[in-house]
Amino acid sequence: MRVLVVEDEALLAQQLASALGEAGYAVDCAADGERADFLGQTERYDAVVLDLGLPKVDGLTILRRWRDAGLAVPVLVLTARGSWHEKVQGIDGGADDYVAKPFRIEEVLARLRALIRRASGQLTPELRCGALALDPRAAKVTLNGAAVRLTSHEFRVLSYLMHHRGRVVSQTELTEHIYAQSADRDSNTVEVFIARLRRKLGASFIETVRGLGYRIVEPNE
Amino acid sequence: MSVVSLRTRVMLGAALWSLGLFVMAGHLSTAMMIHYPRTPFILHGIFAHAVLSSVVAVLCMILGFWQVKTGLSALHDLRSRLGGVRAGRERQIAGRYPAEVQPLVTDLNALLDHNERAVSRAVAKAGDLAHGLKTPLAVLSHEAERARVEGHHELAETIAEQVERMRRQMDYHLAQARAAASGATPGARCSVIASAEGLSRTLLRLHAGHGLAIDVRVAPDHTVRSHREDLDEMLGNLLDNACTWAKSRVAVESSVNGAGVVITVDDDGPGLDASMREAVLQRGVRADQIAPGSGLGLAIVRDLAELYGGSIALSDSPFGGLRARLQLPAC
Repeated sequence: MRVLVVEDEALLAQQLASALGEAGYAVDCAADGERADFLGQTERYDAVVLDLGLPKVDGLTILRRWRDAGLAVPVLVLTARGSWHEKVQGIDGGADDYVAKPFRIEEVLARLRALIRRASGQLTPELRCGALALDPRAAKVTLNGAAVRLTSHEFRVLSYLMHHRGRVVSQTELTEHIYAQSADRDSNTVEVFIARLRRKLGASFIETVRGLGYRIVEPNE
Repeated sequence: MSVVSLRTRVMLGAALWSLGLFVMAGHLSTAMMIHYPRTPFILHGIFAHAVLSSVVAVLCMILGFWQVKTGLSALHDLRSRLGGVRAGRERQIAGRYPAEVQPLVTDLNALLDHNERAVSRAVAKAGDLAHGLKTPLAVLSHEAERARVEGHHELAETIAEQVERMRRQMDYHLAQARAAASGATPGARCSVIASAEGLSRTLLRLHAGHGLAIDVRVAPDHTVRSHREDLDEMLGNLLDNACTWAKSRVAVESSVNGAGVVITVDDDGPGLDASMREAVLQRGVRADQIAPGSGLGLAIVRDLAELYGGSIALSDSPFGGLRARLQLPAC
């Protein structure tokens, strides 16, 4: 899962980024409106944390641009202006949820998880597939109740597949959603992560659909 | 110089003027009578008709009095317009006034304009101060979390508590500053349904996943004398409170009574004990310590409502939960 953090206060952006990183997300940061607009329109994110008071272009304008361009990515708005009038403007501008500053990072994480879950049509906080369970709250994966140790990239690949279970996810799409923008990308590494996941979880959870990509499936016992 | 009624002075002036004319006329007619013996006959020819003379005299006096009264009525008109500005019905003093009064009105309008801009600048500054402080507070609160993870529980607790106190103080005083400024800038008018529908959309989104339904039953022509921001703030706090506590149903309705527009917000939650109702409307008292964000909400609603000459009351809802009844002056 990949998240864009748009916040002009460097320290707060860094705190958010590191907390999100620890929770298993690939994170990009933008410190002004123009950069945020560019990244949002060109990269594929699973969610955006957007501060409204930004230099160059304000957050609400960017949000409206994205929605006008048909971008449906879930957006969590952060703002120091906590009045109801502004909340209405934010939601009518296309925001999905709203957190007023100062906030606790846990609250941002919890709301972000809920947004990503709702956007992918999942109803329960914990994602399950047979004996395999992934809990985004603790960034933990268990198999038959026993914890499985995964690297952050392996976790992101599995998390993305499980959020989109029931459909085939291409290698390109996976690459777009597991790496931050600054990272070196190599779509071959996805194959490596899939191979490692199969070794750790058993080969039958991830199905290869030749020429199309991967799909998470419940193995037939 | 002693302060005497303007009308008294004008009438006194007119009387003295008339006296002067009378004396001059007396002197001239006497002088003419001496030089031209026919004069009394001519004067008699003019003024002998008793009825005609009386009618002309009385008519002149009435017209004179009427002139003075009309001239002075401009001041009366100015006073009632100024009252309208104070009551919030108008922003400026409209209309055309006599040459002596018009410069005064122009200056008054400039002063009102200046005042309005100064107030909104001050509120914007108060807002900037609060918003400028909130980002560093968010940073601090995260540092507290990190300290907690590293085992400094007491330190983390203290910082978190103080950050929350500062946040609530800022929200409260910012709302107060905005409200005080709204009272100072006249001419507000706002449709209840626009505000209620916007808030209903927003709250459904913010409380998504609770399975709530918000029923908006507001007549399209109900308007109140309030700024949109302030009505949003009042209704937003009431509706958010209702959504936080409701099991499944929230309703907002409006009706008109003699004193203005009544907006009621109902929920089917657990309700609030009668002994607590007055307390939660007081500043700084929370009915609960669990649900976040419900801190100063109701106190802000009360302060805002009172500023606009309205009121807020809590009672039992027919749905089984709490009913909040907001009364505001109509437009």
